[in-house]
Amino acid sequence: MKYQELFPLPDEWIQESDRSMAETVSSWAEQEVIARRLEHKEDYDALLLPAMRKLMVDIGLQAMIMPEAAGGGGMDAPEAAMAAAAVIEEVGAADTSIGFLFANTLAIEYALAVAPKRSEESLKQAAPLLCGGDVTICSLVLPAYGTDMADRPRYYGLDYPATAKKGKDGWVINGGPARPQCCGATADLFAVVCDTGKGKPGLLLVKGDAKGLKRGEELKKTGLAASRNADVTLDKVKVPADALVLEGIEPLRAMLSWYYMACAAACTGALKTTHGILKEWGDTRVIKGKGQVFKENPLVASLMGEIGSKTGTCRVLTYNLARLLSRPDAYGSAGSGTMHVTAVSALKQVGHLSMEAMHNTMELMASAGYATEWNLERYWRDVKTVQTYVLPETVAQTCMARQYFNLEQL
Amino acid sequence: MRTIDDFTMPVEYLSPIDKFLRDASRDWANKESIPFRRGYDEDWEEHHTIEPAFKKLMGEMGFQRFFFPEEFGGLGFGHSNYAGVGGYRVCEEVSRADSAIGVAFAVLHWPLLLICKEPHVNKRLCAEFAPMFCDTTEPVFAANAMTEPQGGSDIENLDLLSGSTIQTTATLEGDEWVINGHKLWPTNSGGVSKLFGVVCTTKLGSNDPNDFAFIFVPTDLPGVTQGKPYQKAGMAADKNSDIWFENVRVPVWYRAHGPGDDFKYFKEMVAWGNLLSVAFCSGAMLNAYELLRDFCSEKTYRGRPLKENDDIAGVLADIARDIEATRIIGYQGARMLDRPDLYGDNWSDEIVTKMRSFKYFACDRAIDILDRAMNIMGPYGSDRVQDIEKHWRDVKIIQLWLGGKQLGQMEVARWFYDCETL
Ligand SMILES: Cc1cc2nc3c(=O)[nH]c(=O)nc-3n(C[C@H](O)[C@H](O)[C@H](O)COP(=O)(O)OP(=O)(O)OC[C@H]3O[C@@H](n4cnc5c(N)ncnc54)[C@H](O)[C@@H]3O)c2cc1C
Repeated sequence: MKYQELFPLPDEWIQESDRSMAETVSSWAEQEVIARRLEHKEDYDALLLPAMRKLMVDIGLQAMIMPEAAGGGGMDAPEAAMAAAAVIEEVGAADTSIGFLFANTLAIEYALAVAPKRSEESLKQAAPLLCGGDVTICSLVLPAYGTDMADRPRYYGLDYPATAKKGKDGWVINGGPARPQCCGATADLFAVVCDTGKGKPGLLLVKGDAKGLKRGEELKKTGLAASRNADVTLDKVKVPADALVLEGIEPLRAMLSWYYMACAAACTGALKTTHGILKEWGDTRVIKGKGQVFKENPLVASLMGEIGSKTGTCRVLTYNLARLLSRPDAYGSAGSGTMHVTAVSALKQVGHLSMEAMHNTMELMASAGYATEWNLERYWRDVKTVQTYVLPETVAQTCMARQYFNLEQL
Repeated sequence: MRTIDDFTMPVEYLSPIDKFLRDASRDWANKESIPFRRGYDEDWEEHHTIEPAFKKLMGEMGFQRFFFPEEFGGLGFGHSNYAGVGGYRVCEEVSRADSAIGVAFAVLHWPLLLICKEPHVNKRLCAEFAPMFCDTTEPVFAANAMTEPQGGSDIENLDLLSGSTIQTTATLEGDEWVINGHKLWPTNSGGVSKLFGVVCTTKLGSNDPNDFAFIFVPTDLPGVTQGKPYQKAGMAADKNSDIWFENVRVPVWYRAHGPGDDFKYFKEMVAWGNLLSVAFCSGAMLNAYELLRDFCSEKTYRGRPLKENDDIAGVLADIARDIEATRIIGYQGARMLDRPDLYGDNWSDEIVTKMRSFKYFACDRAIDILDRAMNIMGPYGSDRVQDIEKHWRDVKIIQLWLGGKQLGQMEVARWFYDCETL
């Protein structure tokens, strides 16, 4: 049975063109990643970068939601959310870290090209980078934990990574060391959420070679090999006025809703591959010495049932969120309190469920699950890393409680 | 300020040399491993940075001599009634730095337990192998070669399958055992060990415990081949590989005890393996507590230290609670192994089962608290600098080995509920 038949989605949501794009990405996954990873493991230069180049530039994912007039794929409308979910699921199935990188790109491009009040100047400024002939690695720098108790504006209790002051010639940004969502060591383009001094956040684009942008030492981390991360410091970084891509809570939340959907899709992709690995194991492994095929053991089967159910649930949650985001006419703006919290909630559920499913799969595969050779463990590490990077747990809980129960002080 | 010593342990059970063991192994952890452990993952194949830590702990501090009787140059723990709590303490402290070093260290003693521990000391084999470990300040490893390609759990499923799935054969030819077979995964394989304890059958397919044989094999004998270490999600300090035995000949008296007794005392090994797995978990959990406490005091959320936020404090409390419970259970288990006069033989079904239940409880708790600690820390949780993610990767395998969680569940159900067909 095909994966789509095992874990079905309302078919009418997905257009034929989205499906064929996902199929193209699925072939890319087979040829550029899966067929080569036994040899290259998670090697950045030998496997991940060439694969990204093919995906982002040759196949054109990088410019997918940029306007045609700017040299992009022309999917610069909310409906692109469905296509994004479908392709990121396939990318995540090949390599969750590349899926995560693309989630960063997509979020920034959403703000540039799809958001309701897009800034044509900002779009014009960024388009050559994103629609050119090379991979442009993009990274969000989001509000995060702080290190002091000063009384200052915060975003859901989190400190802004930087402040931006408007001057005659543009903005001056100061902040850090801040931890980007990905690729601090390699990003060509950062999108930094700044306190603009007007009591509302602003998202400003900072090119990787901007004067005053300093990158710390490359971090070693649990997973996400394609993301070579490092903390960044912004020391009097000057950017033009049109580097401000969006301003205000609602537009920022809208971008984050898209980002959360894309991250959920990357994790859902990891589950797709996990399902294939466990299926092969379950069909062929024998336990209890009596020729009992692994999957036919009732205890094993009970866990496999849970894993399957979690995989299906993650898929439904992710695509459902994509559908909601793709139809602001029907469901409201992606930045509304309701939509944003729906995205937070879907992201957190997908994070938990996919992590549980990966833990359980590893339990069923014992040492094979833990060995690099079987490929499961890299998805297990990647999904955990996504879970930690995208919105700390308690912040998400407060955010949801605030909306669902109308909190007034937190 | 609170420290890890504020977590409860049953003080009346502790060994008379507990303070020495704690101080020596903690000092080792703080100086020899913790400052270097962030580089261990990249060193999984060569062990250049890991080797000095082993040398200090095992060779220079002499902890590899634990089990051997004093008359052979050992520290005589095998004769004491505190090998359990003493071993637990050292493994916990070592695992606070690195649970893979904890495992490699514990496993070196694992096959030796069969011949060094009362009431089944095999003096001839002790005399034979003691010099290897006791007359040197270099680290010397041993391994327990049990798992095979067709499955490790079945070999461990002693009650149900009684060794009937073992494919590694031992055939008596004159006054020698001739061993043939293929093992996978033993800790301290991949060229590390000088001595293997090999789980064999003397009659393929037999479920008669008399046909279960545990035979010592020096690793430099003709016919022993080891593969390259496998790359894994974590546990870099523990090397694992394939081992092939092709007509390997050892003297007949290299068998640990003989028909029936090898099987019996192998169950004791399983009990000890499970108990020390709790120590690996509690060591990692204690270190997670230290790291988390520092992180949550330094970083702020809502303009307050993380730990001063009620919602985060709630999670921190759960984490402390789980460490409390795990540690108490661990020391209780160690005490049960030390006092067979009170709790029954180490190889009894009851003890083996209870150690399994302690192990899978500890593993579940360890994984859960490390998961939650990483989630609290956000992007810093998966950052190698914080070290918590290392524990998270390392500890996962503890849940999977020794037959995995599901075998643990079946054995516990079987014993507590008199199940007859599981
Ligand atoms: C770091 C590391 C160190 C190790 N150290 C050693 C060592 O020192 N010596 C050694 O011999 N081996 C060692 N192993 C191997 C380990 O003990 C085995 O991997 C483990 O026992 C499981 O065996 P397996 O991998 O062959 O999986 P299988 O036996 O195939 O089991 C796979 C899964 O099947 C399920 N299962 C099995 N039996 C049952 C049952 N009866 N009922 C329900 N479900 C069941 C469980 O989910 C289990 O996890 C080590 C492995 C690692 C990764």
